[in-house]
Amino acid sequence: MDFLRPTTWADALSAKAEHPDAMPIAGGTDLMVGLNFGQPPPPALLDLTAVGELAGWDRDDGTIRIGAGVTYSQIIAELARECPALAVASRTVGSPQIRNRATVAGNLGTASPAGDAHPPLLATGALVEASSVRGTRVIDIDDFFLGVKRNALAPDELIRAVRVPVAAGPQQFAKIGTRNAMVIAVCTVAVALDPVRRSVGTGIGSAAPTPRRAVEAEALAAANLPWSSGGALAEDLARDFGNRVAAAASPIDDVRGTAAYRRHSLAVLARRALQWTWAEMTGGPR
Amino acid sequence: MTATIAQPEVGRARLRKEDARLVTGRTRWTENITLPGMLHLAILRSPYAHARITSVNTAPALDRPNVIAAFSGADVAETQGVLACAWPVTEDMVAPTYTPLAVTEVRHVGEPVAVVVARDRASAVDALEAIEVDYEPLPVVLGLEEALAEGSPLVHSDKGTNKCYTWIFDSAEAGTGGNAVQAEADAEVVIKRRYVQQRLIPSSMEPRSVIVDPSGGEWTMYSATQIPHIVRFLLSATTGTPEHKIRVIAPDVGGGFGGKIGVTPEEWIAFTAANRVGRPVKYTESRAESMVSAHHGRDVIQDITLSARRDGTLTGVSVKLIANMGAYLGVVGPGVPLLGAFMYNAIYKVPAYRFECTGVFTNTTKTDAYRGAGRPEATYAIERAMDELAAELGLDPVEIRRRNWITHEEFPFTTVCGLVYDSGNYEAATEKALSLLGYDDLRAEQAARRASNDPVQLGIGVSTYTEMCGLAPSRILGALRYGAGGWESATIRVLATGKVEVITGTTPHGQGHVTAWSQIVADQLGVPFDDISVLYGDTRVANKGMDTYGSRSLAVGGIALVNACEKVRDKAKVVAAHMLECSADDLEFTDGAFRVRGNPEAAKTLADVALAVFTAHNLPDGIEPQLDSEATFDPSTFSFPHGTHLCATEVDTETGQVKIRRYVCVDDVGKVINPLIVEGQVHGGVAQGIAQALFEDAVYDESGNLITGSFAEYLLPSAADLPTLEADRTETPATTHPLGAKGVGEAGTIAATPAVVNAIVDALRPRGVHDVMMPCTPERVWRAAQDGSGRGSS
Ligand SMILES: Cc1cc2nc3c(=O)[nH]c(=O)nc-3n(C[C@H](O)[C@H](O)[C@H](O)COP(=O)(O)OP(=O)(O)OC[C@H]3O[C@@H](n4cnc5c(N)ncnc54)[C@H](O)[C@@H]3O)c2cc1C
Repeated sequence: MDFLRPTTWADALSAKAEHPDAMPIAGGTDLMVGLNFGQPPPPALLDLTAVGELAGWDRDDGTIRIGAGVTYSQIIAELARECPALAVASRTVGSPQIRNRATVAGNLGTASPAGDAHPPLLATGALVEASSVRGTRVIDIDDFFLGVKRNALAPDELIRAVRVPVAAGPQQFAKIGTRNAMVIAVCTVAVALDPVRRSVGTGIGSAAPTPRRAVEAEALAAANLPWSSGGALAEDLARDFGNRVAAAASPIDDVRGTAAYRRHSLAVLARRALQWTWAEMTGGPR
Repeated sequence: MTATIAQPEVGRARLRKEDARLVTGRTRWTENITLPGMLHLAILRSPYAHARITSVNTAPALDRPNVIAAFSGADVAETQGVLACAWPVTEDMVAPTYTPLAVTEVRHVGEPVAVVVARDRASAVDALEAIEVDYEPLPVVLGLEEALAEGSPLVHSDKGTNKCYTWIFDSAEAGTGGNAVQAEADAEVVIKRRYVQQRLIPSSMEPRSVIVDPSGGEWTMYSATQIPHIVRFLLSATTGTPEHKIRVIAPDVGGGFGGKIGVTPEEWIAFTAANRVGRPVKYTESRAESMVSAHHGRDVIQDITLSARRDGTLTGVSVKLIANMGAYLGVVGPGVPLLGAFMYNAIYKVPAYRFECTGVFTNTTKTDAYRGAGRPEATYAIERAMDELAAELGLDPVEIRRRNWITHEEFPFTTVCGLVYDSGNYEAATEKALSLLGYDDLRAEQAARRASNDPVQLGIGVSTYTEMCGLAPSRILGALRYGAGGWESATIRVLATGKVEVITGTTPHGQGHVTAWSQIVADQLGVPFDDISVLYGDTRVANKGMDTYGSRSLAVGGIALVNACEKVRDKAKVVAAHMLECSADDLEFTDGAFRVRGNPEAAKTLADVALAVFTAHNLPDGIEPQLDSEATFDPSTFSFPHGTHLCATEVDTETGQVKIRRYVCVDDVGKVINPLIVEGQVHGGVAQGIAQALFEDAVYDESGNLITGSFAEYLLPSAADLPTLEADRTETPATTHPLGAKGVGEAGTIAATPAVVNAIVDALRPRGVHDVMMPCTPERVWRAAQDGSGRGSS
């Protein structure tokens, strides 16, 4: 197995162009687990950790551009205000050791239906910046997940960054697991309120072959929330919203939980996430 | 010189001497040991739960790089020995032949089939894929009741049955109590419940690892085991190798929890491999191998019946168990349920008792001791059922216990099993726990949440436990048909400079024996804590021992130690008297020295005497020039620690998520040698007990594959899952031996599981819930909360 370790982004892109079957490695917290469990090793590893450009994030016109090398620990420490749902989700990932190494780009690379960063990215309308020697394109997060552990990257492309709009309103992320840490989620929900555009974003995880939005639930909430009055959120609306989120799911039975339980708890989590965010925005009771 | 010990060592919260090297890993883990010329072995394991082996071709593996040897079970059928079960619990127990490598048939996934020996581990592992094995799959049986049903596939077809044994204790027959069947017929209230102890996987930090060095016509085995002495005996007995040619060393061992009580296929295979290649051979299992092949724990179906009067007084207890042995018998596997047999009556005055256990073979990994071994199962069933009885009678769970427990004035108390509980104070421990928790306030909060129909309900779980520790009086073990004794030994060597080496036959693997033994010896001999070394785990150094399990090390080995110290003092006193020119009768041993009664300044320390003995220039006539001593102690009875654990959980009825809000435990483990060690043991024990209640579950799919074979699916708790433990103690010394200690290794594990599940059920009881299957996953709790069916199964 070859080991490639470029130190600049340009070198990384040419390495990937020359070796399209080289497997990028960031934190390695997905990749190494697979190798240890006997997955056939790739012909080459492309280590991105020495590429300085990927290490930080910057702010550009209402958008946070999170470099592919940024870890969950950095997001928790530095971006809790700008990207609250992503930060809350980051806090639930693995353990401190994992969060110190693992990256959002790696989460996207794996594109697991259970990836915890995905629902917040979906709920906030994030963009994935994919680059190759051919140039850079921006992939809407809605178009990024193609199937179970399949994403929209071309063989010669690498993720350069993820662009997340600075939060315009309260956001929440909720997760059910069979344990509090170090666990693959039974299901997850992210909700983001945008009082300026009067819109509601959602993302659900471990609920379908890919992470996805609950578009009908978003529309229902956007149309019926009392944006102008800032009044209390009607219990019925919260419940309908939860049920529509659940309806957007197509979960499976597995060792962590049944489809029925997943659907039920998605409804509960979504209802609560909407209640919490609305209460936070309007100063009302949770 | 009259050095005195400033304060007694026993009772001090000493940091552990051994920790620096253990926690940094810079120590003698078996895996850290490299011998000259050492080779490495890897094991090919069965992918089938049950299959006939029609052919094995190991030859292609020999062509792989660095491979030295490859062989199958058939190749070594004559020489590989067998793995013996040391506990044939009944005369007619079915004990199938258990060979290290399968020869004609495999009976569980993970069973060893063939071996590669290579220059390095990676080469050995890689070469496994070159071995060709043909299997002819056979029908599989996994469930306990299915295995007992007519027409079930047989795990061992030559035995004609899947039943291993049925063992019965009946207090009426034993003459220790009344007739439990009659008690049930006469009862005003009867509670019948079925509980399922899920299968658990003992998980220690260090996986198992073994090296066998066959050099020089002798065999040295290094093994990450809890029981080097038993391994040596059985290796000799089952391979015909003379015992005096075998040395077994358990170097530093990184945890066991019962999982390293075993004579394992891997140890025997390493022995066979080393003999075939004539060089030292090492094997260290991967975590994945460990999870399918090291023994599992629990896996018992429990039917329990309580008979009582309307006032809550128990009139009888009956218990019927089906216990999963797995495919083969572990070294003490069949006996594990028996260790719980005398504990279902727990801390209560039970007039009539009947216990029946049937052991069953299935196509699963064998089961054997796991922390608590039999006693957690017993405590779980009785403590869950007592809550059910309380609910049935509209009594508070604490009140039902008060009405039945043995009061402190009633000790010594002979139980319905004929055991004599020497001492205890259940009232004191319970009162302390209740006030620590603020029991009444939490009950008030619970009532308020119920009244307001809060989606998050509060539950309070009570668990008052006792356990029999200090395994074990040899005579009782004999009566239970166990193959060995339960004594323990200690040796003291007094060095010329007054320093002391202590040898113990117990085999610590993380508990802190080195520290505790030093504290005891410091007080006994007046030697500073730092001047004492403790040696163990090497059959050539500690030649006599019964090792470490069953909370026995201190409660049995500690007494041997005290007795050995007394012998040293007796010898030294004679010499000290000679040095002080007085009669030995005029001396007393106080403040760490032999002092003339009435003239304490005239004194000799052990160090003074040791030097005099070493030079031997001026010893009394007929006195040997040495102070060393040895003592072997066989306990006359068990010890009975007890305690009260209280758990308050918040149960989210909409999602089923359970949060432990408070966990209070008051344990009474008798005299405490080192409070830090006791607290550590309680912490770890409670964590494992909570883990059974909420997280851990070894699950097989229908073809017998372990689908929870990694820590991603087999959920060990992490710090984030555990509450802050509010731990306190009462101290009621054991009266049956001079140390007063009762044992603490298993207490937390025994107490915690029912405390947590009782709390969950308590939270949901108004919804008609009377049980949630373990582990109480969010989904199961949610289901129980929804349908009130009481089991939350699936
Ligand atoms: C103990 C443990 C606990 C975990 N807990 C969680 C959890 O709670 N929630 C969760 O969501 N995940 C969890 N994970 C999984 C993992 O940590 C995450 O998916 C993490 O985001 C992966 O990031 P990484 O940087 O380590 O990725 P890597 O392992 O380095 O890479 C993952 C994949 O992404 C590709 N990749 C990496 N960088 C790029 C790039 N710049 N461009 C294109 N492709 C790229 C790799 O080729 C690979 O296919 C856990 C893992 C472990 C070992």
